[in-house]
Amino acid sequence: MMVVLLGATTLVLVAVAPWVLSAAAGGKNLKSPQKVEVDIIDDNFILRWNRSDESVGNVTFSFDYQKTGMDNWIKLSGCQNITSTKCNFSSLKLNVYEEIKLRIRAEKENTSSWYEVDSFTPFRKAQIGPPEVHLEAEDKAIVIHISPGTKDSVMWALDGLSFTYSLVIWKNSSGVEERIENIYSRHKIYKLSPETTYCLKVKAALLTSWKIGVYSPVHCIKTTVENELPPPENIEVSVQNQNYVLKWDYTYANMTFQVQWLHAFLKRNPGNHLYKWKQIPDCENVKTTQCVFPQNVFQKGIYLLRVQASDGNNTSFWSEEIKFDTEIQAFLLPPVFNIRSLSDSFHIYIGAPKQSGNTPVIQDYPLIYEIIFWENTSNAERKIIEKKTDVTVPNLKPLTVYCVKARAHTMDEKLNKSSVFSDAVCEKTKPGNTSKIWLIVGICIALFALPFVIYAAKVFLRCINYVFFPSLKPSSSIDEPLKNLLLSTSEEQIEKCFIIENISTIATVEETNQTDEDHKKYSSQTSQDSGNYSNEDESESKTSEELQQDFV
Amino acid sequence: MSTKPDMIQKCLWLEILMGIFIAGTLSLDCNLLNVHLRRVTWQNLRHLSSMSNSFPVECLRENIAFELPQEFLQYTQPMKRDIKKAFYEMSLQAFNIFSQHTFKYWKERHLKQIQIGLDQQAEYLNQCLEEDKNENEDMKEMKENEMKPSEARVPQLSSLELRRYFHRIDNFLKEKKYSDCAWEIVRVEIRRCLYYFYKFTALFRRK
Repeated sequence: MMVVLLGATTLVLVAVAPWVLSAAAGGKNLKSPQKVEVDIIDDNFILRWNRSDESVGNVTFSFDYQKTGMDNWIKLSGCQNITSTKCNFSSLKLNVYEEIKLRIRAEKENTSSWYEVDSFTPFRKAQIGPPEVHLEAEDKAIVIHISPGTKDSVMWALDGLSFTYSLVIWKNSSGVEERIENIYSRHKIYKLSPETTYCLKVKAALLTSWKIGVYSPVHCIKTTVENELPPPENIEVSVQNQNYVLKWDYTYANMTFQVQWLHAFLKRNPGNHLYKWKQIPDCENVKTTQCVFPQNVFQKGIYLLRVQASDGNNTSFWSEEIKFDTEIQAFLLPPVFNIRSLSDSFHIYIGAPKQSGNTPVIQDYPLIYEIIFWENTSNAERKIIEKKTDVTVPNLKPLTVYCVKARAHTMDEKLNKSSVFSDAVCEKTKPGNTSKIWLIVGICIALFALPFVIYAAKVFLRCINYVFFPSLKPSSSIDEPLKNLLLSTSEEQIEKCFIIENISTIATVEETNQTDEDHKKYSSQTSQDSGNYSNEDESESKTSEELQQDFV
Repeated sequence: MSTKPDMIQKCLWLEILMGIFIAGTLSLDCNLLNVHLRRVTWQNLRHLSSMSNSFPVECLRENIAFELPQEFLQYTQPMKRDIKKAFYEMSLQAFNIFSQHTFKYWKERHLKQIQIGLDQQAEYLNQCLEEDKNENEDMKEMKENEMKPSEARVPQLSSLELRRYFHRIDNFLKEKKYSDCAWEIVRVEIRRCLYYFYKFTALFRRK
């Protein structure tokens, strides 16, 4: 029971204590401001807030800041113990591309709690302040020099040359406004009226960061009295051979002109020491409204040109500056091509033009080619326009000489540039298809007939040989039997010739037509018989005797 | 990096599809400008290389990583307009670096060449962005973006990352008091950056 009572009283005391203490302090609890607005113009940070409690007086406010990633809060100098609800401070040594956080509290005898402002990146919040403007007047033009409001700004440290400007100009009398956008820090406004007061205001922009600045204060200037000599107009640059031709218009005759040029990039950086208009030597004191100068006067780049007229005593103001890009206005060389001839068409292969010296030639320029061809004998020309570099010229007659010439055109309508025609190249078409076929057939026939021809020739030669150059030797097949016959009789004669009895004393010569075999048998029989003849068989001896007698 | 050829191929197909669906007028101007842009950018790369004979070996010690933001590589279909804007910004920043700080390190003719080249680059990009704005190409591109599924969609690229990168370069030059080595390192870094953007110019061609 006692414990419960004790517990209850401590609880009550704890609950009441702060209230009692604050009551003892003699004031209500201070609340920190709940809303803080941050505006940044160039390097100036402007903080604005509302008092949380209007009735309480003599409250001061203080700010701390913290870089993201750090744990400590740093006192923001310039915004400590502020009595009003607004304070300024400069960039300090901040990295404007890093996020920072601010916190604010109210102070009187005691301090309120901190209220943290949402973190932000200073560069993102920054606005471009009003630029500085300086004007120069001519009779019908105004020259404007614009520079950033804050010199050597920390916020725009990377953007010194990246600013583009836009302005609004009006006649003081009429108030009709004209807007001019996207200009550099040196600009000239033309086509104004002389002896008129014009007023203008300029603002800066950083387009890639979606930033548009605050307008400058209004500046007014009065244009001068009209000049005796007007400036030249309608300046144009064109290319011819290896030269640039500059032409312009002028109302009066018998004037001398001079031409000046400037690197276009200097418009972004007018403070550069190179920012000086220079003369073109070939165009100094020309008497005509044109001048020609060689291409090698300008290296590759973008230039600005202006012309001035003079009659000896007075000079005009400078003409409008025209922009001149050497690459876009480069000389277009005629194309180089090869022809492959067929019987009824030409295949033309277009290649890159040959470079010569320092002529700027664009290799990957989108071009279209105009090809003109005609029969060598006639003059009737036919035209083909092709985008590809591989062109077929159809419907040609075989075995005819045709001539071809070509030129290139830029595809862009705005540029509208063409090269001159290349030299004409003449080629003969190949023979036609029908005669070709006959040719092939003829060759085949000839090849096929060749072995027959060779064989026939061989036989013919043999015949000739036989008729005109016969051989003297008899052939062996005819000689043989005669030889045998002669030899065999002589042998038989010798063997048959013998004496058996003395009956007949005359040796008979037996002639037989029998073959050698019979002859041999007979001779052996008679020899045997001669041994046995006298003693034994009478028949046997008779036969031989009979025979002998027959023969005789 | 290995996905880049695929990405570029996909981009080309997307462009062809866009050409079919979007009945817009052909802008020969921008195509022609792109031809010049590529040529001038390549020339600038060569100028940056030839400005110095070789990178002095003793400067290697001072080299730091500037961390070029390569956000475009993360997305399969980056918006052309974003890349063009970033490239324009980069051209101006590089022009700034080679123009503003007075120094005696570079030969004047080299400086002039690179300033001419970077200015030309910025001009071509600016003209093309103006053309696109007039033809409402960015509106069409944004509509195309909405049609795609959410994971393929590219969030609006702020130029803040690019600025932080150039701020690092600028700070580096200031800290090193524009020494010769500092200039050499910055030259090489800007060349790297320019080459990174040069590769994207292949995407700008419109059918």
